[in-house]
Amino acid sequence: MSSMSLWFSLTFVVIALLLSMWQKLGLEKEIAIGTVRCAVQLLAIGYVLQFVFHTDHPIYQALVIAMMIGVASWNASRRGDGLPGILWRVTASLTVTATLTMSLLLVLGLIKPTPQYLIPITGMIIGNSMIVAGLFLSHMKRETETARGEIEALLCLGANKKQAIHGVLKRAVKASMIPTFDTMKTIGLVQLPGTMTGMIIAGANPLEAVRYQILIMFAFSSSAAISAALISALAYSSWFTRESMLRP
Amino acid sequence: MASVLSLEHLGKQLPTQQHTWLFSDITVDIASPEITLIMGKSGQGKSTLLRLLGLLDTADDGTIRHLGKTPTEWGPEKWRMSVSYVAQQPVMLPGSVEDNLRAVSRLHKRPFETELARTWMEAVGLGEMDWSKQAAQLSGGERQRVALVRSLLLHPTVLLLDEVTASLDTISKRATEELLVDLHRREGTTLLWITHDWEQARAVGQRIWFLAGGRLLEDSPADRFFEGPQTQEAQEFLSAHLVQKEDAPCLP
Repeated sequence: MSSMSLWFSLTFVVIALLLSMWQKLGLEKEIAIGTVRCAVQLLAIGYVLQFVFHTDHPIYQALVIAMMIGVASWNASRRGDGLPGILWRVTASLTVTATLTMSLLLVLGLIKPTPQYLIPITGMIIGNSMIVAGLFLSHMKRETETARGEIEALLCLGANKKQAIHGVLKRAVKASMIPTFDTMKTIGLVQLPGTMTGMIIAGANPLEAVRYQILIMFAFSSSAAISAALISALAYSSWFTRESMLRP
Repeated sequence: MASVLSLEHLGKQLPTQQHTWLFSDITVDIASPEITLIMGKSGQGKSTLLRLLGLLDTADDGTIRHLGKTPTEWGPEKWRMSVSYVAQQPVMLPGSVEDNLRAVSRLHKRPFETELARTWMEAVGLGEMDWSKQAAQLSGGERQRVALVRSLLLHPTVLLLDEVTASLDTISKRATEELLVDLHRREGTTLLWITHDWEQARAVGQRIWFLAGGRLLEDSPADRFFEGPQTQEAQEFLSAHLVQKEDAPCLP
């Protein structure tokens, strides 16, 4: 793709801007910031990846993955604003999820241990886990408020924190995982997902591209389950004080 | 022997206005098992006081002890098993009436006391209730009694009762009062009971705590409180009730 073509792609942003102005949506600033950030971030990561692939040194690959985990953790933990220690809990669950899933992919020989495979696939796993963790925290916040009476009734019967919040936790874990499995059900029928599209555009055989997409989706199912289980196990106590009282 | 419950300089600030006390400096002791009724106008912090004692809320000042030990020394779960709060608005756990009654057995892996549960359900006027009925379908009064029996099966040393008979008809209310008084006599359960019902306070109360102006103004034997309250506020509270009672229309 030439630089000129890239500039022409701004036409789509101009359409969004014009629609926002015409409908008086007041989204012009958001669209402008989004456009600049999207372009700068992607160009930056493009240069970084070029450098990392070129040098082929594990330390740089680890740094890129650490940055991905850091940004994803910060983003997901914003859903749990006000909960003590939520950032490190999300970071831990994303790190473990990424490590376990990637280890499994490598041990089973499903991907090659090269930065070209490791970095993009780890990024996708982290991204999906970030969505799961963010959804879990949002659902937990809402559910805990709705089921406050139920949790306190259980505490009054001598339940420990885990027993008291178990019902809420189960509902939140389920709700955070549903989008991943819903996507699996409609994938290929509604939209052609990123990996597959990218490979096809780059000239790969569509059947080869589909194989990789299936691999990614299956990896997502396990990473969604692992990250939901981990974040729920690590974070449920954040809703209680040290004296096992439900936070106001 | 250590007191059943002791409160030392207990205070709670208003959640919305820091440094404004809902109540403060409550120092009182329940040396041996008894039935204490907590009275006072609405908004004096009676429910909050019970929630502090049930470890559902944090005090901003002071300490509480149960049988000589603080909540930290007990551990929150053990404390709540011994000092159990029964809410004014009873919340049913998901599932059937039986699921609710079995909650304590399930949580603490104890055998379910079926006969005792049946006896107590009968005592509160729910002998005919179908235990397989969904708890969410119960009326307010039924919920209140099921929630009470659910807590009684915990066999706590202290029961913190927050207007637990408020939504009951006269017959069910009397039956529930009798059960609780009987429990106190037979098992030595201490009852700390918020009520706005004067007949109830006179009938079952051995001692009255009267809260007003953010303070525990009276801690007296029930007879003495109703015959001659010590403070101006309690006297006004009593006379307001008498006026209210005289003004009440007589039903045919």
